[in-house]
Amino acid sequence: MDRQIQTAARLIAVDGSRGADLARSADRLAAALRAQGVECVISRWDASGLFGELAQTSDRTSASPRTLSLVYAADLAFRLRWEIRTALGAGTVVIAAPYVETAIAFGAGCGLPEQWLRELLRFAPRPDVQCLARERKRDRGWQPRLDRGYPEYCAALFAPSSPRLVSKRAREGMIGALAAAGGRRGYELSGSGVERAVTAIRRSRPAAASPRPSRPRIARK
Amino acid sequence: MARTATARTLDALIARREATRGLLIAFEGPDGSGKTTQRKLLKKWLESRGDEVVSTRWASSPLVKPLLKVRKKIRALSTEEYSLLHAVDFRHRLETSILPALWAGKTVLADRYLFTALARDAARGLELDWLLHAYSPLLWPDLVIYFAMTPEDSRRRIASTRSPRYYQAGQDVTGIEDPLASYGRFIDRVVTEYENLSLIFKFVTVDAGEAVYRQHTRVRELVAAAEKRPWPAFSMDAVEEWIGKSKPPHA
Repeated sequence: MDRQIQTAARLIAVDGSRGADLARSADRLAAALRAQGVECVISRWDASGLFGELAQTSDRTSASPRTLSLVYAADLAFRLRWEIRTALGAGTVVIAAPYVETAIAFGAGCGLPEQWLRELLRFAPRPDVQCLARERKRDRGWQPRLDRGYPEYCAALFAPSSPRLVSKRAREGMIGALAAAGGRRGYELSGSGVERAVTAIRRSRPAAASPRPSRPRIARK
Repeated sequence: MARTATARTLDALIARREATRGLLIAFEGPDGSGKTTQRKLLKKWLESRGDEVVSTRWASSPLVKPLLKVRKKIRALSTEEYSLLHAVDFRHRLETSILPALWAGKTVLADRYLFTALARDAARGLELDWLLHAYSPLLWPDLVIYFAMTPEDSRRRIASTRSPRYYQAGQDVTGIEDPLASYGRFIDRVVTEYENLSLIFKFVTVDAGEAVYRQHTRVRELVAAAEKRPWPAFSMDAVEEWIGKSKPPHA
């Protein structure tokens, strides 16, 4: 029984408002899973290299929140194709950090309609377990940097033209939206939260048994 | 819900701009239908009248053109990635080139508009609803000129000038190795989608089989008679979002 649970594929989403904390939480969760003999991989943002290349263009600062949300969706489609679905197909637990909620919370924090963001990203399958990586030192705020997480990257691009987009309000909006999303069905990855998440992952239904995602695709011969 | 004072101010600003803003004209049609030739002829004619004209081409945004070009060349894009990166290109051009030019009173000639994405991506099997959503909020063109031709004619014209590229030929979805044979199959679907869109979005059709000068005469007549599709009624969300992001000149 135990062996069967360990080999079943599951998709775990880890979302958060600060890249470093999110990466650290994903690493801790992966280590805790591996310590219990559960094989897992981490899928991180910009696996496609789109954001990295975009940061090298001269027009990078003219990108809007909506434009960057579309780039995020393209990157997520890449991750699903090359990392997430491949690993799930091989019966591995996949930790997607960040996943859908980070992009929705950041977009909504910048004033985009949440419904638009959810519909845009509906090709992504629902995670089996949703986790939240809270900011460890919330008073410090973000450092807008291209080499950190998705929110910091966007903040670094917006800063020269629209400083208000990196204002406290946008960031607080994101933190609030993530907390609300996490509160509905998520596990907070701090303190004993990691252990609770591991238990939930082991008890959750395997990915193959979960409802199919709503893909923007129709059958065609 | 009652609109806020800021939103009402924006509404008034956009309504006032309606009289002086430029006209947005989209050129659509299958490959080889002569859109670019007609767009260039119209540009010259408009400029000879003293109009300020800006042209914008498909997949030309400096933000994503380089990375899109490389990924197309190495055939690395899935259907969703292909679609989303073109949506990025469109949105970026809309915000940095099309809307600023229209606001400043210039005429914008779009050599392909979002209908190209709708037709091609729907032909690739993506849902029209999701595509429209990815491209929203929509900025409606004042005039969409559709250069109509049969799939066979498009294939013949393409075959006489060049071998279609991988994605242009739809080889990613047809799985056919010969680019021209694949193009023949794919363009059939694209033209069907265009014809459906033409009814939904009320394109004005020009017969792409006619002589170039006859088509140009027809295009001139259409443009001379074109009326603005009022922003407050059709494109308010797109214009408002752009103004909210970057204060337009002469606001």
